[in-house]
Amino acid sequence: MYLTQLLFVVMSMFQDSTKVAPMDTLSVAYSDKWMAAANQGEGFFMSFMSSNNLIFVVLGVTLIIWTVLIVYLSRVDKTISKLENQLNHSSNEA
Amino acid sequence: MKVWKYLIIVWMSLVIVGGFLIQIPFIPILEQTARNLFFHVPMWMAMYAMFLMSLYHSIHYLRKTDWLADIKAEAAAKTGIVFGVCGLLTGSLWARFTWGTWWTFAEPKMNLAALALMIYVAYFMLRSAFDEPKKRARISAVYNIFAVSTIPFLLYVVPRQLTSLHPGADGNPAFSEITAAELRFILYPAMVGFIALSYWVYEITYRAYRVRYISEQTISNPQ
Repeated sequence: MYLTQLLFVVMSMFQDSTKVAPMDTLSVAYSDKWMAAANQGEGFFMSFMSSNNLIFVVLGVTLIIWTVLIVYLSRVDKTISKLENQLNHSSNEA
Repeated sequence: MKVWKYLIIVWMSLVIVGGFLIQIPFIPILEQTARNLFFHVPMWMAMYAMFLMSLYHSIHYLRKTDWLADIKAEAAAKTGIVFGVCGLLTGSLWARFTWGTWWTFAEPKMNLAALALMIYVAYFMLRSAFDEPKKRARISAVYNIFAVSTIPFLLYVVPRQLTSLHPGADGNPAFSEITAAELRFILYPAMVGFIALSYWVYEITYRAYRVRYISEQTISNPQ
């Protein structure tokens, strides 16, 4: 219940406002005008990311890399823990 | 921990600090996101390095039937996927604030990169389909050679023939023509640093997989 509400809040944070992407890149293959920055849409997330000459986009990119690497390493960590448990278990039996 | 790992920590710290602090020319729309060049592009270079290493070990396996080579190929492919996912996600965020959308099907490089990753996901699905280690190693080594041979076409040849928002595509100026020279002072160290970091991640994965393989073998054939 609370989880779904939280999910909704998080999703609406990332969602663009009713004005969808200013340039329709789905049907128009390429335009020499990049119009995205002119109209970034509303919402806390969008206006925060667009502030300060888009520097927070760079922060977001570094955080994405950091998160993916940490998630991956913690998974490898889990694999190793499982092996260690097995090893302890088998040495107790012997 | 070996010395080169401490070296990577220091090197990468300097790259990140330099990437945020270096003076860069102002380009409208791109603005400060030009700094993403130091983080988004090396992800792909690290992925290529890992996939090439995976190819090397797969060929080595087919020639020598060394089970360690199979484990190495698997670990390298896994690490390559991790960096490829980083590249896709960072590219998606960058695209939202410069091109105006998280994802577009009009952009060939973006979609073909996702396709390349899916080809590598299939490599792991193929591996999981076999219980017998020798059969799994041989067939997945052959598949891996196919998978890596698609990479240059998917990410270099085809995107350059089509209109694309990425630099170097048909009708666009190439990377070397539109990139300020000073960006290279960070970009190349970042490439070296991230490839070295990916090697470190690969090494940890390889060690874990190697021990797992040995423990599986001792469980199935107790002495």
